[in-house]
Amino acid sequence: MSETMSKTEQTQHQFLTPTKHDEKARQDFVRSYKEYLVKNIHAGNRARFEKTLQPRFEKSEHRPPSDRFEVRDLMVKDSYYQMFSTLLRTSQEMMWSSCQLPVEGQLEELNDKVRSAGQSASISSLNLDKNFEIPRYHTAVDIHCQPGGYHSEFTEEDASPGMVYDRAVHIYAMGQMGPFNDDMGASVVLWLKENHPDFKPKRILDLGCAVGHSTVPYVKEFRDAEVYAVDVAAPMLRYAHARAQDLEAPIHFSQQNAENLDFQDGYFDLIVSHILLHETSNKAIRNIIRECHRLLADGGVMIHAETPPYEGMSPFDAFMLDWDTRNNNEPFWSKSHEIDLNELSTKAGFDISKKFNTMIPSAFQIEKVRRSEVFQGGDFGGGGQWFIYGNWK
Amino acid sequence: MVERVLKRKAKGERPYFFEDNNIDKLVSMIMGLAGETSVLMERLDTVERLLEEKGVLTEEEIEMFNPSDTVLEARTKRREIFLGEILRIIEIELEADSLEDNSSYDNAVKEVEKN
Repeated sequence: MSETMSKTEQTQHQFLTPTKHDEKARQDFVRSYKEYLVKNIHAGNRARFEKTLQPRFEKSEHRPPSDRFEVRDLMVKDSYYQMFSTLLRTSQEMMWSSCQLPVEGQLEELNDKVRSAGQSASISSLNLDKNFEIPRYHTAVDIHCQPGGYHSEFTEEDASPGMVYDRAVHIYAMGQMGPFNDDMGASVVLWLKENHPDFKPKRILDLGCAVGHSTVPYVKEFRDAEVYAVDVAAPMLRYAHARAQDLEAPIHFSQQNAENLDFQDGYFDLIVSHILLHETSNKAIRNIIRECHRLLADGGVMIHAETPPYEGMSPFDAFMLDWDTRNNNEPFWSKSHEIDLNELSTKAGFDISKKFNTMIPSAFQIEKVRRSEVFQGGDFGGGGQWFIYGNWK
Repeated sequence: MVERVLKRKAKGERPYFFEDNNIDKLVSMIMGLAGETSVLMERLDTVERLLEEKGVLTEEEIEMFNPSDTVLEARTKRREIFLGEILRIIEIELEADSLEDNSSYDNAVKEVEKN
């Protein structure tokens, strides 16, 4: 690992795909392109809506648009929004491509490296399930447009989706998730430290861990805890395992569906997830919360970090936050942001007097001045805060 | 040509925002071109700075440069990547056809909301 840490560059670790001069320049262009859209183009949507589309609507209907669907009907016909959307979608596609190119150029070597690190791993472990069935909600479309999704293998024992993803997240968040892309986990850890300083979990489980970006902060904070992490995608877990080894983070990874886990009842004191729930489905989300209830010990807590629900947002803000549902392959995004959390908790067996949901500040403060301070399509890490939903048992 | 092992198109119907989706495609091509131009500018910038630092090259020498067959071959490969980046938007349609990834996006939303 590099000793010097740039404030805006991703921290190098042994498994981060090396990039040649032009490959890095291509990725840097995509990041600049995304930043440019957020800083200079995005705001024009609100201006178009407030100055032109809404007054026109009010003139004929004698009321403002009542929900995000009415806003959508106006916006999709607007040429500015059309251009913004096509630029944002294109930036997403270019991001994946720019991260694939350096991986494809050295795929065999990189996979060998991950494989041998996995075989010699001493502080962490990995259990893959050869007969594992990837849930349909993960394969219906490739989530957030990563070609092949998290699960596809392009060569034997492939870890390339993890390699591509690790780099792409840093570009997607424009560095605003920190040099380790770990802001969501780090923010939940910070919230726990500040609000529940006496809570010392012995066993921690991270659901839908992908490459373990958000898992590592729990290991670093709760030094005496055993940390487990599950995901449906083997390629992500192979990479996560190697990466955790390099970051000196003991984590037990296994390929499992969070709806139905093989741990015994009451095994964990802390169960967390980070932007997992919106990648599932209406039935799966209920199964996952029920499974959290089963797996938590009394006095334990589950915490799910997400982007904020639409409730209480202006129809325009909700419409913009909903951009990803249809335009960035997030089919469950809409519905998951409108779910009744009290009902979700109750049906899973939780006592809702111990339920909480709140906005928490981002742990990655260094870049605060650069943040746009709003959640919006294409500026995922820019809010400067995260939404958490949880329940003590 | 660099072998493209990974998929280039994300499964799922690709949204287009203009009535004529060729406009969306043109935007994608222009941004691809802009990206590759930016890469080129940075490379040139690196080279020029290094040369200046070391005081090894004049502009005249660049004009007189005569590329070898190996150099020509490398440049041909480089241009293929260049074009692949610009024309990806067209190629993913073919990839969608060949993989039968043409089901409507509404089906995916309905499916996850129902199941």
